[in-house]
Amino acid sequence: MLPVNYAILKYFTKVDEGSADDVIEALKDKYGKSRLLKKNAVVEALMTAEKNFILEETRFELDENNEIKIYYKAPEDGKATINNYIKEK
Amino acid sequence: MENGSSIQVPDNALAAKKKITASFFRKGIILAILSGMCYGCYSAFLYWATGRGVWVNWYALAASTSSLLMLGALGSAINDTISGIWCIIIAAFKGKLGDFFRVLNTKPGHIMMLCALFGGPIASTAYVVAFKMAGSMVIPITALCPAIGAILGRLFFKQKLNLRMIIGIIICVIASCTIGLSAAGADGNAKFAGCLIALIAAFGWGFEGCVAGYGTSLIDYEIGITIRQCTSGLTNLIILVPLIGIISGNAGSSFTHIVQAVTSGPAMIIFVISGFFAVFAYSLWYKGNSMCGAALGMTCNGMYSFWGPFFTWIIVGLLVGWPNMGLAPISWVAAIVMAIGIFLIAMNPMDLFKKKEAL
Repeated sequence: MLPVNYAILKYFTKVDEGSADDVIEALKDKYGKSRLLKKNAVVEALMTAEKNFILEETRFELDENNEIKIYYKAPEDGKATINNYIKEK
Repeated sequence: MENGSSIQVPDNALAAKKKITASFFRKGIILAILSGMCYGCYSAFLYWATGRGVWVNWYALAASTSSLLMLGALGSAINDTISGIWCIIIAAFKGKLGDFFRVLNTKPGHIMMLCALFGGPIASTAYVVAFKMAGSMVIPITALCPAIGAILGRLFFKQKLNLRMIIGIIICVIASCTIGLSAAGADGNAKFAGCLIALIAAFGWGFEGCVAGYGTSLIDYEIGITIRQCTSGLTNLIILVPLIGIISGNAGSSFTHIVQAVTSGPAMIIFVISGFFAVFAYSLWYKGNSMCGAALGMTCNGMYSFWGPFFTWIIVGLLVGWPNMGLAPISWVAAIVMAIGIFLIAMNPMDLFKKKEAL
């Protein structure tokens, strides 16, 4: 089993784009109880990855609760970085 | 209004997006500044701890470079090991211990250990040796670490570094040097070798801040710091301290020193506090660097050159009552100059006027 942060980043090597909610939905069965999969933690992890050029922002919108929802994708070099550092066992 | 992919989005979505981005940036700066303050507190408590119990006689009798080096390494070893224990307790409390063990044997985990070695045993020991050889002249050299971190961040991770940021870093480095020299007293007895060794310390801390900061975008910062403190503490305790004992020709003395130090109650109580502050000094440093880039993060953290003497004055001088702990007036001026430097790195001052005009 991968550490939560690794699994969050690895998710973006398998999808075209995704938001924090998408990440939580995809990983909740495996990591549901982890504090690192709470919404705020995931949002911060994604923004940090974007700040460090691992992810790229694609678009944003307001959800039904009027909260901002930002979508990200892993560009080719971001995917290469993730796959280089994080190996799926 | 448009977002990144040129699709029309409502103004309230754009406002919400700007708000969350600004809040993230602000949090990064606050954490990086807090890391410097925690560094100041940890330094103050470490200074106090190594002035109690068995340490009083040890320092009074330490005449050679090797004995001073041994005491410096031992102090760091105990502090970082206790800090590592605090990290494990915090990680366990927050349910992150499983991830800590999972990260250990991965590439980012190994890189975090490498950073710990660079910033812990290598840079800290280089600093102690350099200071002994060249005196306070090494302080301006080690104060270059934010600049080195910013350059490495640019080279390794494509982080932003423009002319305005470079000017801000230079302002902070100059202010940091001013505090360092005023605190230690310039002795003018420069030694070339000592200065070269001080560069190793500056490079070690610059490398650690930049690479571990980036690593924190892959690893949770509290897991990262647990790896850092355990690696640094145990390497100091198991390898560095005995190695210094062997080099100084008295291998047995290192073991005796370790046993006496950890059984010295009055000092160990204070080490528990210094180790606690060290957790946040380093974890928030890593977290801040990952959130606002090595240039800004390391410069905000670099205010420790003010916070160190400041909290030593408050804690050891005013609360404990040790004499001669006051800050030189120039330190206060330098702190303000540093704040200006940080402001310059964080934002273009002209933007303030633009916002006013927009209003």
